[in-house]
Amino acid sequence: METGQEQERKTKWDGWIFFVVGLIVALLVGWVVFPLLLYSEQRQPLNYSHVKHGPESGVGLECEECHFFYEDGSFSGIPGLSKCKECHEDPESLYTDSPEEAKLLEAFVEPNREIPWLVYSRQPDCVYFPHIAHVKMGEIECRVCHGDFASNDTLPAYKVNRLTRYSIDIWGRNIAGYKSNTWDRMKMDDCAECHTREAKEHNNACFVCHK
Amino acid sequence: MELDRRNFIKFVAGGVGGTLLSPLPWKLVDDIAIWTQNWPWVPVPAKGKFSAVNTVCSLCSGACGIQVRKAGDRVVKIEGRSDFPVNRGALCPLGMAGQQILYNEGIRWKGPMKRVGPRGSEVFREITWDQAINELATRIRGLREQGAPEKLVAIDGNQSRSTVALMIQRFLDAVGSPNYLAVPREEDTHALVAHLMQGTQGPVPIDLENSDFILSFGCSLLDGWGGSGRMQSAWREFAGDKERNRTYLVQVDPRASRTALKADEWIAPLPGTEAALAMGIAHVIVKEKRYNNEFIENHAFGFDDWFDAKGKHRGFSRFVLETYAPAAVEKITGIQKSAINRLAKMFAGSRAPLAIAGRGKGLLPGSVYEFMAVHALNGLVGRINQRGNVLAAEDLPLASWPEATYDSVAVDGLNKERVDLAGSPRYPFSQGLLHRLCEATNSTQGPSIDTLLMCSANPIHSVPYGKDLKEAFEKIPFVTSFSPFRDETSMMADLILPDHTYLEKMADIVWPPGLQYPLYALSQPVVKPLYRTRHSGDVFISLAQRIGGTVSDSFGWEHFEEAIKERVKGLYDSGKGRIVARGGQPVWERLDKGGGVNKEYASFQSMWEGLKGSGCWYMPFHSFGRWPEIFQTPTKKFEFFSSKIDLALRSYAKGGSAGDAASELGIVSQGDAMSMPHYEEARTEADDKQYPLLLFPMELINLASGWIGNPPFLNKTLLDHQLEKDALFVELNPKTASQYGLAEGSRAVLRSPKGELTIRIHLFDGAMPGVVFIPLGLGHTAYDRYLRGKGVNPFDIIDPTEDPLSGQPVWWNTRVAVSRV
Repeated sequence: METGQEQERKTKWDGWIFFVVGLIVALLVGWVVFPLLLYSEQRQPLNYSHVKHGPESGVGLECEECHFFYEDGSFSGIPGLSKCKECHEDPESLYTDSPEEAKLLEAFVEPNREIPWLVYSRQPDCVYFPHIAHVKMGEIECRVCHGDFASNDTLPAYKVNRLTRYSIDIWGRNIAGYKSNTWDRMKMDDCAECHTREAKEHNNACFVCHK
Repeated sequence: MELDRRNFIKFVAGGVGGTLLSPLPWKLVDDIAIWTQNWPWVPVPAKGKFSAVNTVCSLCSGACGIQVRKAGDRVVKIEGRSDFPVNRGALCPLGMAGQQILYNEGIRWKGPMKRVGPRGSEVFREITWDQAINELATRIRGLREQGAPEKLVAIDGNQSRSTVALMIQRFLDAVGSPNYLAVPREEDTHALVAHLMQGTQGPVPIDLENSDFILSFGCSLLDGWGGSGRMQSAWREFAGDKERNRTYLVQVDPRASRTALKADEWIAPLPGTEAALAMGIAHVIVKEKRYNNEFIENHAFGFDDWFDAKGKHRGFSRFVLETYAPAAVEKITGIQKSAINRLAKMFAGSRAPLAIAGRGKGLLPGSVYEFMAVHALNGLVGRINQRGNVLAAEDLPLASWPEATYDSVAVDGLNKERVDLAGSPRYPFSQGLLHRLCEATNSTQGPSIDTLLMCSANPIHSVPYGKDLKEAFEKIPFVTSFSPFRDETSMMADLILPDHTYLEKMADIVWPPGLQYPLYALSQPVVKPLYRTRHSGDVFISLAQRIGGTVSDSFGWEHFEEAIKERVKGLYDSGKGRIVARGGQPVWERLDKGGGVNKEYASFQSMWEGLKGSGCWYMPFHSFGRWPEIFQTPTKKFEFFSSKIDLALRSYAKGGSAGDAASELGIVSQGDAMSMPHYEEARTEADDKQYPLLLFPMELINLASGWIGNPPFLNKTLLDHQLEKDALFVELNPKTASQYGLAEGSRAVLRSPKGELTIRIHLFDGAMPGVVFIPLGLGHTAYDRYLRGKGVNPFDIIDPTEDPLSGQPVWWNTRVAVSRV
């Protein structure tokens, strides 16, 4: 028979089970359910293969043939349809039997409609980011920020934040924000981290990027 | 183990702890912050590839080169061009806010409209361009069929001699109406003074930058006078370089304006007595024989006493010695005689002194006698057409169009008297008297105006007689507006044929007023027209062609661009000039070098393309001196006694007494003084006791006061003691304010014989006691919610008299009373 004292201790410890249950439920919600709810997955309009076009392929395009700088130093970003049409100009003639190529010709080239690419690295409007200062002057490789797109055969899933409407790649695929590669996140702290590391701390002043 | 109150709290505590240990709250805070940036009403920059278009701002006639930055098709920024000779990078606030004139849809007409409701009710319906042009053409054709083409009247605010202005004049000529009325401006007064004293026609270049002593009688050099971009650029040279032999600026201004505060010296005479101050300075120069003897003896007329058939005449020297002793001038102006003596010595002792007269931004005409008095100082020191002074120049070598063709209806119409009497013996020196339209519409012999064309102007709001003009408009049977804006004047129209705004069209500026070298500026469309608007030049071509006959024959062009090109051909044929600005040295520094007049284009087409790209053709050269050739007066000299005024007075007198004729014209002085520069006391019928204060309208660089409505960007730059909510502040000296029991922020009523305004008071030590300073530009009753009902319009209570020589309204001497409410 339990003594009154033991009974009292047991009840006391029993109560803490509620605390633990609450804790675990909240942790599950925060770490597992919340990310599932926060992001929705969208499909790119076309599955472009960097591998099939890149320097190692038969096509043999260099990165900067499509992602080029204009004469005034501004960056073209994702190429427009006119770039695709330099090779895929005839809707009737296909280079391969890829269904994606057929889709390109049918849905975009033929009606002359721009491809509505979903941009993984799109930043808010209040951010001014000059590629030329980083790529040409800073000699930073594309992959440092964007990851190794050149070796991608399929485009990664585009996950959009339901609240902000920006891609998951800005915050990073890790919900806690941990990163192991430089390209895992594209938040302001990541810009600052690199500026600091490269002894360009003066570029962390607000007006350098927020004009 | 049951879920009692205690355990529930433990569960919740665990939940809170777990949540805090998860990324949820931290991530949500970040996301919510970003979410707020994406609300649909948060403004975001336009997307698209950036580009820059070089052109010229045509919001005023200052001709500043601008670079328009675009994102995709959207204009996002306007900056001054450093490669443009006029402004060299500088630009006024209105020029910088230009995209709001383009994109603020609330202020724009989106297509041709026809009035549906009663006049002024602002109820219109959209029609097609074909219907609009047909309606107007039919009406004008009807006037010609009735043999009354002179009943067509045009009011035009385009820069004089610009291609659109010439085209509108040509249209009226071809139809047969003499009634083309240009909106009067300060440049007209400068041109008239040059005509009366030097006999010259055309541009009046002022070589301000090369002067080392500027005596500015009221020109707001830093508040928009003389082309804001040019003046800012000049100021950089005056004030920026300490090493350089700096230009000494004396600002004559009744208020501590921006210009007065930055000047080397600020002189504050009573408003309206500037001419007396100039004459006092002339007195000292003459008395101490500090004038330029060589110029006075050989190239000036009327300085010493002179004789003609009527006997001996008093010369300018004796006139100023007898009338304007510093002690007498002190009584008139309030400026101490010691200051007058000192200014005269400094002026005459400088290497390149310059005296310039002006009012505010120079948008409105000034007093002819006053401007003559100031210009007489330049004559005394023999600086006419010398470095750093008023220059004499021929107009640009633009080609003339072939003569218009006239049928008998047109010839008869053109021989009829003008509706405003400009150019008649009563107003011999006027080219257009807008305010006289009010009387013309009151005529008892039936309407003398049937159809009115309103181009690039908003006189109901922005000229002194605006209120009366509005009443006059109500009596005119048919009013047509070409304005792109929903302004006060177009609201009174029956038919609206909206023009493009300045960033959507080609336009030219022919020799910006006051610039010291010849320059032709061509502005380019920067964006495609946003709405169903049409270039007024093209509309006049279509109208003429629709009217047919000789009117159509006079308008053989297909597009406006052809008409401009035809004129520009003259520049090419002259074989001179530059179309590219080169080097860091400003043009005015090298005017006597004689370089840069060689032609640098292979063909007309290449020149045209180059001109479209650079926006200007100019000649960096001036031939100074040349006194024996430049004066075109009857005496071929610089006239201190203007033969032209004398002749005009005598012909108005028709054999009677010239003195009586002068009194009838409103000239107070008598005798030879009537034809000489002098001080005329302000005429006002208002009683000093009832209206003890003087109302002084002032213009601010960050408040548009002309045709263009102030854009919202500029409204935001007005300080809380200038405009708060809808209340406009007037500036009052604290001493004056205390006499009327007014304090900072008090609400008060300003009353003149013409009407009253409700305003608020701002106390300002830099305001002359006894004078109420009120900003021009607000008090709109049209436009959109950002302008309508904001502040009050001083012109509503300004009680103008006519300037005796030019006939233009005197808008700076209204007497008012102020009382607290």
